[in-house]
Amino acid sequence: MKRDINSNGYIFLYSTLLVVVVAVLLTAAALWLQPYQQRNKDNEQRLQILKAAGIKDVDKNNASERFEQHCTASLLLDEKGNVTQDGALPLYVIDDEIRVVPMKGNGLWGPIWGYLAVAADGKTVVGATFDHKSETPGLGGEITTEPFQRQFAGKRFMNNGRLVPLEVDAISGATKTSNGVKEMVNRTIQQYAPYFEQR
Amino acid sequence: MNAKKLLIEPLRKTNPVTVLVLGICSCLAVTAKLKPALVMGASVTVVTAFSNLIISLLRKGIPSRIRIIVQLVVVATLVILIDQFLKAFAYDVSKQLSVYVGLIITNCIIMGRLEAFALSHGPGESFLDGLGNGLGYSLILVIVAFFRELLGSGTLLGYPIFPQSFYEAGYQNNGLMILPPMALIVVGIIIWIQRSRHPEMQENNQK
Repeated sequence: MKRDINSNGYIFLYSTLLVVVVAVLLTAAALWLQPYQQRNKDNEQRLQILKAAGIKDVDKNNASERFEQHCTASLLLDEKGNVTQDGALPLYVIDDEIRVVPMKGNGLWGPIWGYLAVAADGKTVVGATFDHKSETPGLGGEITTEPFQRQFAGKRFMNNGRLVPLEVDAISGATKTSNGVKEMVNRTIQQYAPYFEQR
Repeated sequence: MNAKKLLIEPLRKTNPVTVLVLGICSCLAVTAKLKPALVMGASVTVVTAFSNLIISLLRKGIPSRIRIIVQLVVVATLVILIDQFLKAFAYDVSKQLSVYVGLIITNCIIMGRLEAFALSHGPGESFLDGLGNGLGYSLILVIVAFFRELLGSGTLLGYPIFPQSFYEAGYQNNGLMILPPMALIVVGIIIWIQRSRHPEMQENNQK
């Protein structure tokens, strides 16, 4: 007996089966690959932190090793800038001097993020790195490029005890992404300002 | 149909972008630079080939009333699986690709080939058809990206092409080339050239 493949029963059966097979497949892949993906992600994060701090000759192969060498402490801060166990603001200390803080914000199409490295004086930016999930290549995507990121090095965000905005050139044609970067950097500096003011 | 024809025809006379005018949306989005165009071309080729193969294998059992849903599920699963694998074993490629994952799933060429070809042909032929159409799409993408990056940024794959003396003599990169509308114009020019070289493709001359 041949089944009618257009009967309602068959359609329900077929779609149920399809969904179950696909779900099992995707779950299995996700579970199996997760440790590898996490390792890549951690590696990438370390690479970005070191790059922001201006450490030379790091690449994806030696990022973990270099991170162990250079990162002297990783701390958590509360809103008042005090180091606590359960603070919400992470901070990495590189070579006992440079403080690197993570930034998170929104671009045009999706999240953007990055790291901002601050010199020992607590007033000057050493460097910054940015990355994004889905900004337009050639426009907003340019925030990941060296010429854009280089602009941040040496800028001061604190002058006579007051916060001043960093001034860098935006990317023409990528107004929304540029505004997202601006908002993200300024907000991050404001959040961490109490910590840097203490220094 | 023989294998060579299935593979080569989509590069020319049945090109998915310039003749069928499918996949234009991603053509605008990823052709500002050559590198993303190459990545996108390669990933679409892989996905069309394998989704064609899978749908062709399943074709006798798929109820026609839910075939579009089944196609979408297969394509989406495939794309997500590939993305997961790349994230685990080729992180750099996956970072390049992350932007396009959504674009690949909704690429009209993939659905178009599944509907028009894979549902009515055997797995071997369907695989080649998918491969051919993916390559045809990549070809146009690369041509468009080549001109947009060269004239818009003065670089190819990120390497500067014009010597500094050009710029000193007054040459300027054309910023308009980076904006999406110029992709349409370049595609239009390619279609124009293609049609004027093949008079049989013009509607009035068809008989």
